[in-house]
Amino acid sequence: MLEVRETRLPGVGTKFALRTGRGEKVSAVVHLDGMREIYHYHDEDEEPHVLTLNDEEARQLGAIIGGVVYRPQLVKDLEVALKDLVMEWIELPPASPMVGLTVATCRIRSTTGSTIVAILRDAGSLATPHPDEVLRADDTLVVIGRPESFDEIRGLVAEGPPD
Amino acid sequence: MTLAAASVLAGRLALSAIPIFIVAGILLGPSPGFPTLIAPSEGTELLARLGIVLLLFFLGLEFSLGRLTAARRMVFVGGVVDLLINGGLGLVVGVALLGPGPEAILLAGLIYISSSGIVTRALFDLRRLGDDETDLVLGILVFEDLAIALFLGIAAALATGESVGGLEIAGTAGLALGFVVAFLLVGRWAHHLFDRIGPRLDREQLLLGALAIAIGGGALGEAAGLSEAVGALLAGILLSGSEVRDQIEQQLLGLRDFAAAIFFFAFGLEVDLSEAGDAAPWLVLAVPVAVVGKMVAGYVAGRATGFTKRQSVNVGSAIVARGEFTIILAGLAAAGTALNADFRELVSPFAGLFVLFTAVIGVVLMRESRRIGRLVFPTRATRRESRR
Repeated sequence: MLEVRETRLPGVGTKFALRTGRGEKVSAVVHLDGMREIYHYHDEDEEPHVLTLNDEEARQLGAIIGGVVYRPQLVKDLEVALKDLVMEWIELPPASPMVGLTVATCRIRSTTGSTIVAILRDAGSLATPHPDEVLRADDTLVVIGRPESFDEIRGLVAEGPPD
Repeated sequence: MTLAAASVLAGRLALSAIPIFIVAGILLGPSPGFPTLIAPSEGTELLARLGIVLLLFFLGLEFSLGRLTAARRMVFVGGVVDLLINGGLGLVVGVALLGPGPEAILLAGLIYISSSGIVTRALFDLRRLGDDETDLVLGILVFEDLAIALFLGIAAALATGESVGGLEIAGTAGLALGFVVAFLLVGRWAHHLFDRIGPRLDREQLLLGALAIAIGGGALGEAAGLSEAVGALLAGILLSGSEVRDQIEQQLLGLRDFAAAIFFFAFGLEVDLSEAGDAAPWLVLAVPVAVVGKMVAGYVAGRATGFTKRQSVNVGSAIVARGEFTIILAGLAAAGTALNADFRELVSPFAGLFVLFTAVIGVVLMRESRRIGRLVFPTRATRRESRR
């Protein structure tokens, strides 16, 4: 685990200091008034590079660096290990025969053994969707199951449920 | 308006605004060679007192037992080294100039205490907040703040002549320490109450509530013979354990800066430069001792807590600037009925110029400290990772 040293700066705010794997020192200072500063020390006896951000800029940058904002692209093929079960994100292209069908009629669980745990869509994502929920173009299905079942699901998405 | 102009000017000169506020006060006040635009009056005196009360209230807010113990090594090693060297040197200067007596002790206090306000501001302006050794600098300042609570109590007693014997001084110090501990404990117990009230207040109510507590604390402190300043500090400590503290800090930061500005400006108004000539011999001795003393203390404290030689130079130069406490003590001393009349007359001009010199020298040293460190210690020290 990376060591981050947190120090209270009386009258100023809080400082978080860490050393990267490359040996460079970085400190972030969160001011009481919401301003943030990031100090980067290339050489500790020289002046550091300093980045000053307001509250909104800091949140935006923090989200980008933390992988929150662009998560859908980043995690397209990311598999999250849940012991031997895995979570996978599968996109539903507009051309898929499954667009317009309900979750139940897609029969993903009965044919592959994996379950849709969530549907991510711009209009509002759904956790544990109802079996009568109708799938739409460009939905992203979050499924949990055995890794070997995911290719089967991609097959179903491309060709439609079995007759 | 004057303050705004002074602040802009300070930004241009890349100096701390505080010396400029004092200069503005001196120039606009009754000094020879300049027209007296603002005469010291009850109004300006009230302004200065309000400034002191608010400054110390905010200082008290920063206190908490948890914070003290979390950084205890920095606070106590750094603080004790600083106290021994600079308190000691201050006393030597005091005795040398004034002979042994209460005046020497007050002068020692004037010389010893650095300015939390100037140093913190300069650390920010000069982009030093991210440095490791900044933790030590702020630790030393926290220790000094604790020392001030005791010292202001002693100073008030000395100034009014209530206690002159060593035993009585110790008693007053004990009383002040007792009050600090009592308020920390009461604050711990009462923070549930504050936390319940705090979130219901809007900005204006919070502002008025905080002001009432700060000023009420000041009045109580004075009534208890501990001086207004200590009372306000204790009022801040009372709230320091509660979540209201974060609320006050975040919403009333501007008030703190405003308090500092009016305080230094009002002090400048009180200073009459025509008396400053007599203070020159004091300055010639005190300023170099004060600068060198802090450099040495910072260096020793830095080495003792595991920093490199160059980092330790940064610590020393960061704590050179004197400010609000020197002035608060000078105010107490000038009003001290039991003190030598010459001393009372000279102490304010001395304090004003002493703060001006040390603050300007301190900020310049701080800005150049990395270069000084490289010059004095040309070979790079192998870094000892300090574990705190």
